[in-house]
Amino acid sequence: MAVVELADRGTLFTFTTQEFLPKAPYAGPEEEADFTGFLLGYVELPEQVMVETRLVAETSASVHIGMEMQLVIVPFRREPDGTEVMTYAFAPVADATGGGAR
Amino acid sequence: MNVAIVGVGIHPFGRFDGVTGLDLGAFAVRRALRDAGVAWTDVQFAIGGSLAGLLPGSDESVQTDQLVNVLGLSGVPFTNVHNGCATAGSALAMAAALVESGQHDLGVCVGFDRHARGHFNATPEQSGLPHWYGDLGFMVTTQFFAMKIQRYMHDFGITRDTLARVAAKNYRNGALNPNAWRQKPLSERDILESRMLNDPLTQYMLCSPDEGAAAVVVCRAEDAHRYADRPVFLRSVALRTRTFGSFEVFAPWLAVDRGHSPTVDAAAACFEQAGIAPGDVDVVQLQDSEAGAEIMHMAETGLCADGEQEAMIAAGVTDIGGAIPVNTDGGLLANGEPIGASGMRQVHEIVLQLRGDAGARQVPGGPTVGFTQVYGAPGVSCCTLLTT
Repeated sequence: MAVVELADRGTLFTFTTQEFLPKAPYAGPEEEADFTGFLLGYVELPEQVMVETRLVAETSASVHIGMEMQLVIVPFRREPDGTEVMTYAFAPVADATGGGAR
Repeated sequence: MNVAIVGVGIHPFGRFDGVTGLDLGAFAVRRALRDAGVAWTDVQFAIGGSLAGLLPGSDESVQTDQLVNVLGLSGVPFTNVHNGCATAGSALAMAAALVESGQHDLGVCVGFDRHARGHFNATPEQSGLPHWYGDLGFMVTTQFFAMKIQRYMHDFGITRDTLARVAAKNYRNGALNPNAWRQKPLSERDILESRMLNDPLTQYMLCSPDEGAAAVVVCRAEDAHRYADRPVFLRSVALRTRTFGSFEVFAPWLAVDRGHSPTVDAAAACFEQAGIAPGDVDVVQLQDSEAGAEIMHMAETGLCADGEQEAMIAAGVTDIGGAIPVNTDGGLLANGEPIGASGMRQVHEIVLQLRGDAGARQVPGGPTVGFTQVYGAPGVSCCTLLTT
């Protein structure tokens, strides 16, 4: 076994939106009433692997196949004791480098 | 292959209160036995398929062999099959092998399920995945379907209008099928304007889990005319799992070197075993978990080349009156998906079509060759070829 460091940039291979609240085991912070959806996709890290990931983008119109994407770490939810749970995600390169993720 | 189907039975697909999965399964078996003119006590082996145990909220009747408590304690060897979305196909493959090997002469194959409403919610651990994968909201099968067709549309010029045409065709066919769950035709506009669930897939482009059962009676081909005036012959059945590089549901990662779907391998093996070419097929049942799946499966099974679907579907080639009718009973879109029963429903429909018993949805011209394909989690496909 050897550790291989993955690239933190790649291109968007495909994507979709999640527009209904997933059933358990989904552990996001939303309820039915305030669920506004999220985007997800596969980012191809050149000559390495494609990674399934949430995408930091508002709508499906904000992304396109082949788009350059950058790894970001974003808040996911908060534990009852106040601990913030973070997750990996990918954002369009222009957004990730010009002011950070939302 | 030396196997005939001499009886078929189905319990309508949909939502039913006050029944169990076993009730549905027993109903389908009794119908199939009556169709073949045999009694439960004549049956030398039985194989049942159900996937309920993997899916929270689904009916508890996982052990399909409990059917003996309903149909009769005849001592029949009964095997339970539990093999993902290829459960019904695997049951049929096993039944065919038992007859082909000469171990038994006459058997019953049944599939049934009753699933909870809404999307399937398997747990990550069942798929060998870490818990965080479910936490993040990735254990949703429809995301996979959407992402696969999104890429396919980009690569091969398939449009959203074509997705809607496929769905409208399947609801139109469902309206001609008294056993279908959805019997109301929907326009392409209704479909396109329904709620977006996973871009590009709207609500009416996606099938829903539901309840249902289907059964077949199989026997040695040389005995077929003892039971049926118009037997249908099972020419081949092929089951395949994913190979490296295929794009599958519940995949935290994919290989950069792209491979092909297990459907490609299962279909190729099925045609080769039977010595039948895709161009010889008169009527087809494809896995349409969503409208895009039917489009991609047309190419994966060898019925057309990638990208040809756009023009073919616009020209009505896959309609009941077209050159390659697909999902004449409405497919999964109109029937829903009780997983254990779904592949058996496909075979049931092909048997009716080849006998000329499909009523208002009968393919004209006397079809003689039929093909079925299921595909799904965890990256499995099963195909069959049937002839008169």
